[in-house]
Amino acid sequence: MADLRDQTLSFRLRREWPAYLYLIPTVVVLLLLNAYPIAYTIYISLTDFGTGGRGSLINYHYIGFSNYVTAFTSTSSPFWTLVGNSFFWAGGCVALFLLVGLGLASVLNQPIRGKSVYRTLILLPWAFPAFITLLVWTSMWGYEYGIINEVLNSVGIHSVNWLLSSPTAAWSALFITNVWLSFPFYTVVFLATMQAIPKDLYEAASIDGAGSFSQFRRITLPYLMPTIIFVGLMGFLFTFNNFYPIYLITNGGPGLSTQIFITQSYSEAFGAHGASPLYSLAAMYSVLDFLIIILLTVVVIWRTDLTRNWLK
Amino acid sequence: MIRPRRRRWVKLAKRVTSHVVLIIACLFAIFPIYFIVVTSFSTLPIASITAHVLVPNPSGLTTASYNYVLFHQFPSFATLLTNSLIFAGSAAAIGLALAAFTGFALSKFNFPGRRTFVYFILLISLFPGVLLVIPFYFMFSSLGLIDTYLGLIIPYSAGAVVFSGILVKNYMDSIPDDIEEAALVDGMSRTGAFFRVLVPLCYPVLGLAAFLAFIGPYTDFALAHVFITSNNLWTLALGIYNINSTDTGTQNYGLVTAFAVVMSLPIVIFYMVFQRYIIGGLTLGAVKS
Repeated sequence: MADLRDQTLSFRLRREWPAYLYLIPTVVVLLLLNAYPIAYTIYISLTDFGTGGRGSLINYHYIGFSNYVTAFTSTSSPFWTLVGNSFFWAGGCVALFLLVGLGLASVLNQPIRGKSVYRTLILLPWAFPAFITLLVWTSMWGYEYGIINEVLNSVGIHSVNWLLSSPTAAWSALFITNVWLSFPFYTVVFLATMQAIPKDLYEAASIDGAGSFSQFRRITLPYLMPTIIFVGLMGFLFTFNNFYPIYLITNGGPGLSTQIFITQSYSEAFGAHGASPLYSLAAMYSVLDFLIIILLTVVVIWRTDLTRNWLK
Repeated sequence: MIRPRRRRWVKLAKRVTSHVVLIIACLFAIFPIYFIVVTSFSTLPIASITAHVLVPNPSGLTTASYNYVLFHQFPSFATLLTNSLIFAGSAAAIGLALAAFTGFALSKFNFPGRRTFVYFILLISLFPGVLLVIPFYFMFSSLGLIDTYLGLIIPYSAGAVVFSGILVKNYMDSIPDDIEEAALVDGMSRTGAFFRVLVPLCYPVLGLAAFLAFIGPYTDFALAHVFITSNNLWTLALGIYNINSTDTGTQNYGLVTAFAVVMSLPIVIFYMVFQRYIIGGLTLGAVKS
């Protein structure tokens, strides 16, 4: 609507009040199903719920920040491992997404026979719900009966115990699986952006004698930069909290070597400790995850025009 | 100067490399899907698989796994499907209405507090959905809603509100205000103009919003795993998880893959039919910047 900044508040209210009616259901839902649970999580993280011995599951107490102090300072605390793993996971995945996406998009952007067939096949993984294909990937990585080891065996390579033998093998399995899930999206986004670059720029450049590498560096890349930054940052935020790949494939193992905040939090509450779940620690890892994501988002807002579009 | 002869070789080498790269990418993309489909039609003894499964003998193919998954498992496939449709369908209906109202208010009104509201929903949506399961567990058990239909439908409905609301808002922004104003001049109320003029124009984005609100609960495991204990409330996601993980080592690949095919098929068909639109809708924000 027109710029109403110069009009008084009461005029705007008189004209715009129906908006509040439309927002009531959403606000109620968000307060009850987001704001309240988040506040509740913060509160639990400040108690000894589950960590104060058997009785604490029924009767728990406010203990201030001592869970946090222990997490930051205790040598047995996984906190710093989780920080490292979460950033390694998100950063590594995004680097691979960008590399594979940009590479395939530039190959697909040239006139090449069978382009639409290639495009359709590359997009295929995207059509399947991730939860389902991840379950199948889990069994594909299996040591004794996994199809990946069977294929390796058939060409004379020994089986690898992907998920249990070493952090390197486990991370490789995770990265490969997650690239499979995500590269169609990145390829399509970059291809769409590349196709929007005016063709005459390339014609002019090639008349001036620029080779295809310098065309890529001086025309394609500058044009793609805003998209690369935007998609890369959003991909980082999404992957940082991408629960299912790690939960289903390695469940954080071997040991804690692939555990990230979100999987650690979920298993403190519903997995690792069976009948004596450590709810306060689960809540604390949730809060720490939330704080890190808020910080990263502030960076995103500052570096891109993500919210400008929403606010205009 | 590069001599023409050499230039031709460079061109050929480039074309060959391009095809090789694309073929590798396609093989990578298809392999798991090919594996799923071929394995689902094979006869496999429990927990045994070899690379031979990838080159099937046509006479050895069977639908035994499908027969088991569809008609002989417990809880029955019909039960799982019904529950998934109840949960995901209700969540999609509620989520769609919320997204439409939110998008309308944000796009076509300049109400006081709008900026604050956008920052509020942005902040709130940053908390990872999977981790809401922990507080939900205590909230819903004190309400006695654990292991009930309502106890899952409520949290599922909120799942995609913020994302879809923004999606609808962006789409409505592209509809000129003149269209709404013309309807107002014709004597419609703003609400009338919303339902009779704007909503029909937004069918594509509303379809996408409904689909996103549906797919979340349809494939949710994190919440269902904690909230559902009785067999008669199990969903498809719990069913396939269970078939996949009944004691590692006795996995039946035929059953897992047949289940995966049946459960994915409706989603895959939907994607194929609306692919162009879904890609457009989801990449709009990314490409526009």
